[in-house]
Amino acid sequence: MNFTTFEKPGRKSTELAKLNDRLAAKPAAHLQVQNLSVGYSIARGIFQAVDDVSFEVKPGTNLGLVGESGCGKSTVIKAIMGLQPDGTRISGLALLNGENILGLSDRELQAIRWVKVALITQSAMNSLDPVYSIGDQIVEAIRSHENVSNATAWARAEELFALVGMPAARLYEFPHQFSGGMRQRAVIAMALALNAGMLLADEPTTALDPIMQSQIMQRIRGIHEHMRRSMILVTHDIAVVAETCENTVVMYAGKVAEKGPTEDVLERPLHPYTMGLKNAFPRLPVRGEPRQPLISIPGVVPNLFHPPKGCRFAGRCPFATERCHNDPPALVSEGMQAAACHYIDRASEFREAASRPETWRRMGSAA
Amino acid sequence: MRAYILRRLAQSVLVVWAVTTIMFFMFRVMPADPTAMLLERGLSEQAREKLLQEWGLTGTLWDQYIAYLANILQGDFGNSFLYRKPVWDVLTPLIINTLWIAVPGLLLGAALGAVLGTAVGWARRGGKLERMGIFLATVIRGVPNFVIGIALLTIFSSTLGWFPEFGMGDPGDRTGFARYFTLEFLHHLALPLIAVIIYFMPENLLLMRSGVVENRTEDYIELVRAKGVPQSRVAWHAARNSMLPLITWLFPALAETIAGIVVIEIVFSWPGVGRELVFAVSRQDYPLAQAAFFLLAVMIVLANLAADLVYGKLDPRVVYK
Repeated sequence: MNFTTFEKPGRKSTELAKLNDRLAAKPAAHLQVQNLSVGYSIARGIFQAVDDVSFEVKPGTNLGLVGESGCGKSTVIKAIMGLQPDGTRISGLALLNGENILGLSDRELQAIRWVKVALITQSAMNSLDPVYSIGDQIVEAIRSHENVSNATAWARAEELFALVGMPAARLYEFPHQFSGGMRQRAVIAMALALNAGMLLADEPTTALDPIMQSQIMQRIRGIHEHMRRSMILVTHDIAVVAETCENTVVMYAGKVAEKGPTEDVLERPLHPYTMGLKNAFPRLPVRGEPRQPLISIPGVVPNLFHPPKGCRFAGRCPFATERCHNDPPALVSEGMQAAACHYIDRASEFREAASRPETWRRMGSAA
Repeated sequence: MRAYILRRLAQSVLVVWAVTTIMFFMFRVMPADPTAMLLERGLSEQAREKLLQEWGLTGTLWDQYIAYLANILQGDFGNSFLYRKPVWDVLTPLIINTLWIAVPGLLLGAALGAVLGTAVGWARRGGKLERMGIFLATVIRGVPNFVIGIALLTIFSSTLGWFPEFGMGDPGDRTGFARYFTLEFLHHLALPLIAVIIYFMPENLLLMRSGVVENRTEDYIELVRAKGVPQSRVAWHAARNSMLPLITWLFPALAETIAGIVVIEIVFSWPGVGRELVFAVSRQDYPLAQAAFFLLAVMIVLANLAADLVYGKLDPRVVYK
């Protein structure tokens, strides 16, 4: 990969060099999300999509936000960017370098969006305006925040395209002329336009085929290593998190089920949901050992109009007891790790049982 | 692209030919006998024959049709029965008069409708601006355009006396285009022009609004918002995408709206081509009516062609084949 962008070009125009210097000087951001709750009010009542979620992204690190569909992962991202629909109830804090950015107006957010926090969207398929060229859309992002000439902004866009491995000539093309993978790279290039301290990647590879997925993830990892931006990577792919993120937050039904350093969370999960999630992902077979069976977690995420009063995972948990159905568990720390389970002390016993398919199958037939 | 335009032009010629043919037969199956009105009673049979020959009304239907087509190809629509001079001499000044209210009226109506429609579509859902905008636009759209005209006349001419009640004003001794560049002409122009704008705007507003409402929840709008551009710029993205369906509707609607302008011309006694068309039909002045219909047909065909070409300019996804 060719990362020439942040070396001083010198031969290019001085305005571009100055812009690049200015952008390169931006520090990686520190983000603390504290007690974030997001509720959508709908005719039938309030849909509590995110409930009391807290986590921290240290400068220059990468946080994986995992969980199955409908767990509130994207809602967290939207809340941080201030992109929630009208009438959404938000409480809690999102401290970006110590300053709360939750609940700001669109006008106030202008100074933060893309300047300090940039977004790599979930469906690059539809997230580009169909009637403007890709270059125009990147230039729009640059010139909305940096007082530079059109030519300089285009030169910057060309550098960004080189960074994601695309020829500059394609800047003049329109989204419909791009393949899914190219659009995703264009969206990444756009997110890097102002070298924001915080990158929010909302399932950047979900809509792509597996080969493209790994290419894009490699691209994101390369950029992360090179530029040392802080990043939240939303995904439901545990393998991606294992390869990319220092820390992991596992969400279930709008709540944090487990969080901690990725290695700990994936090697020694404390929460039965994390154990189940791990089982549900394929591992490469090791020669001489029996193939690991794929085990899915039976059941579905509970309806958040009427969340269960106890542990939200209790209905699908093979180890659930009376207490789990009645008492919501608090997050309990164990070392750097924390999990919302009443039986953290029995985690190693659960891990052993959870690796056997019968444990979950019995669960499924009972349900 | 060029092949496409050429092919579309060929299609257009075909459509215009079909319209002229239908027109030819339509006028000949109409029950009234044009000669009855044309020829004075007591005219000798010989004189009548001579006149009919002059008007191209002799021979078999087929002979008449061939002669008719040949004349049209040469741009000759014959002489008006009533005015006894070539129809284009009658129509040309009237066409110019109509264009004076039609072109600015339709342009301003479309532009105002698009701007207001964006504002209403971008407003908070269920808010006051949205509800008022939809309500007013729907009510005005429902009002027949002669009522709009009469209301304007009643309020601003009869009651307040701000504007003249009819006509284009006296050109005095001015001729040619000089007659249009007087305050008096503009004074007469104001009310019919406003009537056209009010008549044409609501549909544009409602279409633009529904486009903006649809587009504002699209993913790409979310990304534009996330980029931290000013709200007006975000709204522009939604508006720009909403123009595409508006354009598809707009150009054919322009031609249809000409029919609505006929009514406005009559209410304001504006000496335009639409008003003359109605008179021509009721007086069985076939050559004049034919020419006016021909003009309308050509305009509708050209409007459709223009819509396709403009759409291609606005939407990069359109490919001409």
